[in-house]
Amino acid sequence: MHELGVVIEVVKTVSEFAKTHQLQKVDTIVLQIGQLSSMIPKYIEDCYPAAVDGTPLEHTKLAIEVIPAEAICKQCHQIFNILQHQSKCPDCQCEDWGMLSGKEFLIKEVIAY
Amino acid sequence: MEKFKVLEIKESIFDNNDKRAELLRAELKQDKLFLLNLMSSPGSGKTTTLVSTINHLKDDLNIGIMEADIDSDVDAHTIANTGTKVIQLHTGGMCHLDAEMTKQGLNGLDAKSLDLVVLENVGNLVCPAEFDTGAVKNAMILSVPEGDDKPLKYPLMFSIVDVLLINKIDTIGVFDFDIAAVEARAKKLNPNIQVIPISARTGEGIEQWADWLHTQVHAWQNH
Repeated sequence: MHELGVVIEVVKTVSEFAKTHQLQKVDTIVLQIGQLSSMIPKYIEDCYPAAVDGTPLEHTKLAIEVIPAEAICKQCHQIFNILQHQSKCPDCQCEDWGMLSGKEFLIKEVIAY
Repeated sequence: MEKFKVLEIKESIFDNNDKRAELLRAELKQDKLFLLNLMSSPGSGKTTTLVSTINHLKDDLNIGIMEADIDSDVDAHTIANTGTKVIQLHTGGMCHLDAEMTKQGLNGLDAKSLDLVVLENVGNLVCPAEFDTGAVKNAMILSVPEGDDKPLKYPLMFSIVDVLLINKIDTIGVFDFDIAAVEARAKKLNPNIQVIPISARTGEGIEQWADWLHTQVHAWQNH
């Protein structure tokens, strides 16, 4: 399970953040995951309980925002979703494009008391 | 109702590990110790390649090996038979090593007096590519039976390594494997990648690979 190691890393980072900012209770962790980030939100959610088990974040909720994989066509400057259009510009069929978003894997924020 | 607040973090998941890896590299530089992170899929011949590499370099360099596996110590036994210092690290189900675990392994190996430590990472082409171990250089092995399409399937791994060893080239007649295609695919992802075809079994190409490694160790220790 490729996601577990990453989720444990999230738990470590947020625990340290909670300590430095003297947060009493972290209610929710918000992650941003790009469609092309090699992480699958469903698997992240599945292994999250195991990662927080026995840590101060045991009762913390997890929220995931998915960031679309978007690109800009270098020929006609059309912006399109890479996955929906099979890596090809839907307007001019050009395969030369620059990625705008979709590779993110960020801890966006925490909601805390 | 308790009051709650939203605190922005905006931090990449890998930031913490990246920082620890940088610190480890700085320590390695001070100790004049070269750490190579060797990655591949299971069964590509990492341990066999290591044994031939050790035999080529052991007269010139003090070498140590760290074997990382989810479980078992069969690889550590194979290496121990060469008379080389070896430590087995168990990741306990984790599919990769991070900088923290690597550092613990180096302490366990008592590596300070060594010139070269090779970390044999968990056999996997996905996760180890995402976690910087703190190694000075990264290498991967792709073996002929795995197929020449692997750079297309695991682009991140091919884009982060300094050297690609193509192993088991003695079997190339049996498989549909195009070395030139692999090289072109890998170079598209990573223009500076060094590609060295080898056979750990027959010894072909091992000298070129061992020379590359020796040069890297020398440069790290003296510049």
